[in-house]
Amino acid sequence: MTTTNDRPLAPPAPAGSRIVFAPKVSLADRYRRNARGRRIDNALRFGVPIGLLVIWQLAAMLDLFDRRFFPSPGDVVESLGTAIGTGVLQEAALVSTYRLVVGFVVGALVGLLMGFVLGRVRRLNVALDPIISALYTVPKLAMLPILLLIFGLSDLPILILIAASVFFIVVISTTAAVTAVQKNYLEPAQCFGATGLQTLRHVVLPASLPSVFVSLRLAAGNAVLVLIGIEFVQGGAGMGYLIWNSWQLFDVGRMYVGVVLVAVFGVLFQTLITGLGRLATPWTRRGGSASSH
Amino acid sequence: MAALDELDEIDPGTTARTDPKITVKGLERHFETPDGLLQALGPMDLEVRDGEFLCIVGPSGCGKSTFLRIAAGLLDPTGGEMAVNRQGTGPLSAMVFQDYSIFPWKTVEQNVRFGLEVGAGAPADAEERVGYWLDRLGLAAFRRSYPSELSGGMRQRVSIARALVVEPEILLMDEPFAALDAQLRMLMQDELLALWQEHRRTVVFITHNLDEAVLLGDRVIVMSKRPGHIVGEFEVPFTRPRTADLRGSGEFAALEQEIWANLRSEAYGAADAVTPAAPTVPTRRGLFRRAR
Repeated sequence: MTTTNDRPLAPPAPAGSRIVFAPKVSLADRYRRNARGRRIDNALRFGVPIGLLVIWQLAAMLDLFDRRFFPSPGDVVESLGTAIGTGVLQEAALVSTYRLVVGFVVGALVGLLMGFVLGRVRRLNVALDPIISALYTVPKLAMLPILLLIFGLSDLPILILIAASVFFIVVISTTAAVTAVQKNYLEPAQCFGATGLQTLRHVVLPASLPSVFVSLRLAAGNAVLVLIGIEFVQGGAGMGYLIWNSWQLFDVGRMYVGVVLVAVFGVLFQTLITGLGRLATPWTRRGGSASSH
Repeated sequence: MAALDELDEIDPGTTARTDPKITVKGLERHFETPDGLLQALGPMDLEVRDGEFLCIVGPSGCGKSTFLRIAAGLLDPTGGEMAVNRQGTGPLSAMVFQDYSIFPWKTVEQNVRFGLEVGAGAPADAEERVGYWLDRLGLAAFRRSYPSELSGGMRQRVSIARALVVEPEILLMDEPFAALDAQLRMLMQDELLALWQEHRRTVVFITHNLDEAVLLGDRVIVMSKRPGHIVGEFEVPFTRPRTADLRGSGEFAALEQEIWANLRSEAYGAADAVTPAAPTVPTRRGLFRRAR
């Protein structure tokens, strides 16, 4: 953040005096100051989380709080080692990743497809919008017992729920993005005689991609929430189960391992989708040129 | 493109070349507004000769753009008709939009190729044509750039190349230089002048700028305020090929002045300005409804 003037305004000069606007800082100093500013930003970005961990560790070592409830970072790392050693963690991570990826991909694909159709066929949107709005508001977890009743105690109800949570976010934002494609992009397509499919490919799809990827990222975060929620109550495996099971066994260290890993997992998943989005929309990158082909 | 197809069927290219390219008879367009039906255009009668560069000037909201959109097949008229004599088999018209309307997600080259890729499908010489127009408009060095990396003048060149690459029978231009600064605008006018004198085709060019209309046009049409109809018509007598030097001549200034006098009295109703009408009380019926 740079302000236009970094000093408070001087009191008004008396009439008849000459007011001079001249550099207050030399160019070299200005450059040095900006470079220092960037170093400070980076130090804050990495230093604050690390500093917090160090304070936490020190506080634990000084017995400032009950280590049974608040294990130190060292204890958590130790639990991580144990969990990896026994193979519990890998198994849980694998199961959760599988559920998340399958549910997300299915929900996202169906949501995208339907979003584009609803966005382009106005009448269909008019007909289905109230239903989608109503179903979207139903908490997905509330549907779990019904799905368990129908499909039994398998992975299928879990996958369906994750896919549903992704689907609604994606379909609603995609429909909105498609209907919001500006007329000044659609008119040239119409003018040059583009067919419906060509308009979709050359205009509607790329025009809505940036907001579609925002919705995919939101849906990814939400899918992790839903997944952990489901695994708490049902599933017998996965990261959510690991956390819940650790609580039941009063293995506090492993509980923290689970929570931290779920957070890391969520960040990685969202970063992956943001990265895919950047690849898919090269024109939104600042100063980005098309790679030669 | 229902409207274009209808236009095609009116005359399957058997007419002599002396016939007007575009014949407009009693053309009208109405729009639905919250306050009822609003007539934006017409009745309008006009003939555009084959190969003519026709400029249309008029006040804002007089229906100039509506007329152009009807000609492009983007809008259907609500009354009267517009007939176009078809000569070739290629695209009937292409349009250069005021706000460029080039696609930010396509590179310069992809933008120019767009008109060839959609519709009838790419012709065999598509690559050559794209290359030619990129060169002709000085875009070759930027072919892999995205529009966001280009200046306003460059973007408008892309828009012009995109329209010309399909070799339309009619080129429609909707205030193409309105968003450019005054100097760039003059440069682009000079470029378009040279371009058109090299590749003659029927052009309908809409502008606010009288100087631009007189420099470029064979004929200048003045339209009234809404609902727009024709209130003045001026043949531009200067011989072709013209150059930008024309701007400095006395005849040029005189013609511009004459058109302005017509536009001011007929279109802007200068007489009204002397005795201003009683201020109208805006009627608001909804929370966010615009008062008219």
